[in-house]
Amino acid sequence: MFKVKRETSDGKLALILLLPSSLLILLLIGYPMLSNFYISFFEQPINPEFPAEFIGLENYIETLTNIEFYKSLGITLLYTLLVVVGSTALGLYVAIMFNRPFRFRKIARSLIILSYVTPSISLIFVWKYMFNSGYGIINYIGRDMLHIFDRAPLWFDNPTSAFILVVLFAIWRYFPYAFIAFLAILQTISPTLYEAAEMDGANVWQKFKTVTLPAIMPVMLTVITLRTIWMFYMFEDVYLLTNKVNVLGVYLYETAFAFNDLGKASAISVLLFLIISTLIIAIRKKVNLNASS
Amino acid sequence: MAKRASFYIGIIVLLCVCLFPFFIMLMTAFKGSEEAISRNPTFFPKDWTVQHFLDIFDPTIFPYLHYLQNSFIVSVTASVISVGIAIFGAYALSRLNFRGRLTINASFYTVYMFSGILLVVPLFKVISGLGLYDTKTSLIIVMIVQTLPTAILMLNSYFETIPKDLEEAAKIDGLNRVKVIFYIIIPLSFTGIVSVFVYCFMVAWNDFLFASIFFSGSENFTLPVGLYALFSNPDYVWGRMMAASIITALPVVIMYAISENLIKGNVTDGGVKG
Repeated sequence: MFKVKRETSDGKLALILLLPSSLLILLLIGYPMLSNFYISFFEQPINPEFPAEFIGLENYIETLTNIEFYKSLGITLLYTLLVVVGSTALGLYVAIMFNRPFRFRKIARSLIILSYVTPSISLIFVWKYMFNSGYGIINYIGRDMLHIFDRAPLWFDNPTSAFILVVLFAIWRYFPYAFIAFLAILQTISPTLYEAAEMDGANVWQKFKTVTLPAIMPVMLTVITLRTIWMFYMFEDVYLLTNKVNVLGVYLYETAFAFNDLGKASAISVLLFLIISTLIIAIRKKVNLNASS
Repeated sequence: MAKRASFYIGIIVLLCVCLFPFFIMLMTAFKGSEEAISRNPTFFPKDWTVQHFLDIFDPTIFPYLHYLQNSFIVSVTASVISVGIAIFGAYALSRLNFRGRLTINASFYTVYMFSGILLVVPLFKVISGLGLYDTKTSLIIVMIVQTLPTAILMLNSYFETIPKDLEEAAKIDGLNRVKVIFYIIIPLSFTGIVSVFVYCFMVAWNDFLFASIFFSGSENFTLPVGLYALFSNPDYVWGRMMAASIITALPVVIMYAISENLIKGNVTDGGVKG
């Protein structure tokens, strides 16, 4: 009797406490998500004063028959794959390095995180400056100091070098996220486990495989899942750095705000949403499989 | 001994690679305009100058201060409101028993994973429909919603660490639930609240996407859009851009350093987005 009464009073209070956040999220995320779906069936002018015209599936058909969309999808998948693998591997490697006490460890750790906490816009300018094809320091180092190349690539103007650049930028910027996550979990592994493995004659790789890897697996899966999602709809870093790499985020943005085709952009975001959902479900399935085996 | 030395060399190489762009940013900000675009780039300025820093704070040369002010208004307002709302929501999710708790939690988690670029078109329509196009309010509202799900999830995990006994004791002493939030939960999770505030501030401070579609005139520009617009202008000066980049990064880096020292946790507590 007492318990029932308590639950109802909790329910009322919960409703009041959650009302502002739920309302805001419903109004500015829930409603837009649904209206996105709705808009995707219309020819939608950017000026809200002009009426929208219902065109059925045309936005989807146009998008799905456009070679640019598939190119963009391919670039996005490759970008996501390279950045996720690169930033996770580097983050893990650096975390293992830092998982032993040394002088200035705390300061070194803070300095490594710097690229992750600095606003994109500040980093973009210095990368543009460093990779400038005329007076950039990278060309100077590569050409005059190390003689890696005779003539510097036009980093931002050539699709391949621009792609390399955005991948490098993202790995450099986002590996600290994986580093911090891995360092935290590594520090919870008891040293006795390593000692026991050593007594059994395990080498470095075997110790990593039997002690480290199982312990960090849950964190690794979270890092990979979240990083995959975030890289998949990356817009700002790529858009600000170069106009030669059309990842889906940039493709969507330009369709909406450079070509003023809001309906088609909505169709693209619905497709993007479906792809990300599939990706998450696939990753989650894999997680379950690993856990049961 | 040799092993130890090679370990330290490894750390130093790593730090050099990680910090190289910051070094270039800093040095270029102190170089003269001619030297910054020399075909034989220098690592350190030949003649040190602070002119670029003076320039960006001179409104007749560069509207930097104006953008800085806009960024502060948007980021502080959005973060205060977002954290304020999130405290109550997170408390309900972590402490109260009610039907639908798990569903609401799961929906916040879903929203946390999908956002930003996926919603630009409908949000642009909502904002212009509300007559908020080209106002700071538009960006403040959208930044609140962008940070809210994460803020709730983060605070939820902080609140979970506060012993429930403490709350029970306070209730026996006659505090009601709402008073418990103000007198027990908020003071005890103060450091957590600070770190959530820093997170919200960083998201709003860094936003380029929404600022670029909501603002038409430069009157409301925040730093990311303002600086990007200046960079697109052929008259930009590298040293000035670097000085502006440093000053733009400073507030978030300082806030981050403070919150790092305040809390023993880290950016992955509660899964910060980015």
